[in-house]
Amino acid sequence: MQHEFNDRIAAQRAILRVVNRKPWSSEQLLGLSSKAIDRWVSVNRIEPGSRLVKLVKDVSAKLFFLANKSQEQVSDEYTAIRAEMIAACDAIKIELEAATA
Amino acid sequence: MHIYAFGSVCRGDVSPGSDIDLLAVVQGHDPRFSPDDYSIYSYERIREIWGEGNPFAWHLAIESKLLYSSDKSDFLTSLGKPAAYRKCLQDCEKFFALFREARASFESQAESKVFDLSMVFLAIRNFATCFSLGTLDKPDFSRSSALRLGEHSLSIPRDAYKVLERSRILCTRAIGESITDREACMAFGQFSQIEGWMTGLLDQVGNRAARI
Repeated sequence: MQHEFNDRIAAQRAILRVVNRKPWSSEQLLGLSSKAIDRWVSVNRIEPGSRLVKLVKDVSAKLFFLANKSQEQVSDEYTAIRAEMIAACDAIKIELEAATA
Repeated sequence: MHIYAFGSVCRGDVSPGSDIDLLAVVQGHDPRFSPDDYSIYSYERIREIWGEGNPFAWHLAIESKLLYSSDKSDFLTSLGKPAAYRKCLQDCEKFFALFREARASFESQAESKVFDLSMVFLAIRNFATCFSLGTLDKPDFSRSSALRLGEHSLSIPRDAYKVLERSRILCTRAIGESITDREACMAFGQFSQIEGWMTGLLDQVGNRAARI
């Protein structure tokens, strides 16, 4: 249980790695806080209403939601959300591939 | 609902780059509070961390000020002192693992280097805070806790430490100049020193735990 904090960090890193496989024009996505996402959208001139931005913001909301839960709740919900994270990674990959095809 | 300020602003430790840490204690989901601006906790979770002697509970107990109370009470003060802090070794091991994961990631790929530097900073800071809370007379919850442990302080060049700190601020508050490759390299050059510092303090914490 004590490593759920580290697991959330690893989940963030996994998302960043997927997003940053694309060579962004100005700056990589540096974190999954709303402010970091807004900076990435702004400096790279990404369409704020795009599906990619929505997917990244959804993942961010889930991770921060987990951070505010009690340990007991996290134990149950983290398992479910971990599966959602894998699905989100796949969805972002597909979105980026579609955008560059 | 209760709103508190905590951290640097309560210590008077302010600088142009410092933010104001805010805690919202709420009943259930409250959409008025964004997790970007507040640490949001339920009353139940606060009671839990108080009972666990969690470092964040100690941080709040020592360095927080009530800003608003919907019922005129000071909820945190009413809880008294948190339970004794007993998880120093586990917490230091956790943050050492966080450092190792960030180091391995930094060395293996290029897609999350600034985030990895940011996690190195978080690991150093939290490790130092837990060490100070568990072993020293005066805990240090500041952003520079690793540099303020007296003879136990982390000894790396100030420039490298600043790069790690800037990375953390970039990844969370999204403020500041981008980290250049040269700066990232400079910080990376200190990873072995940081790892040695952590393993040395872990030995001390482990020996202390074995004696208790």
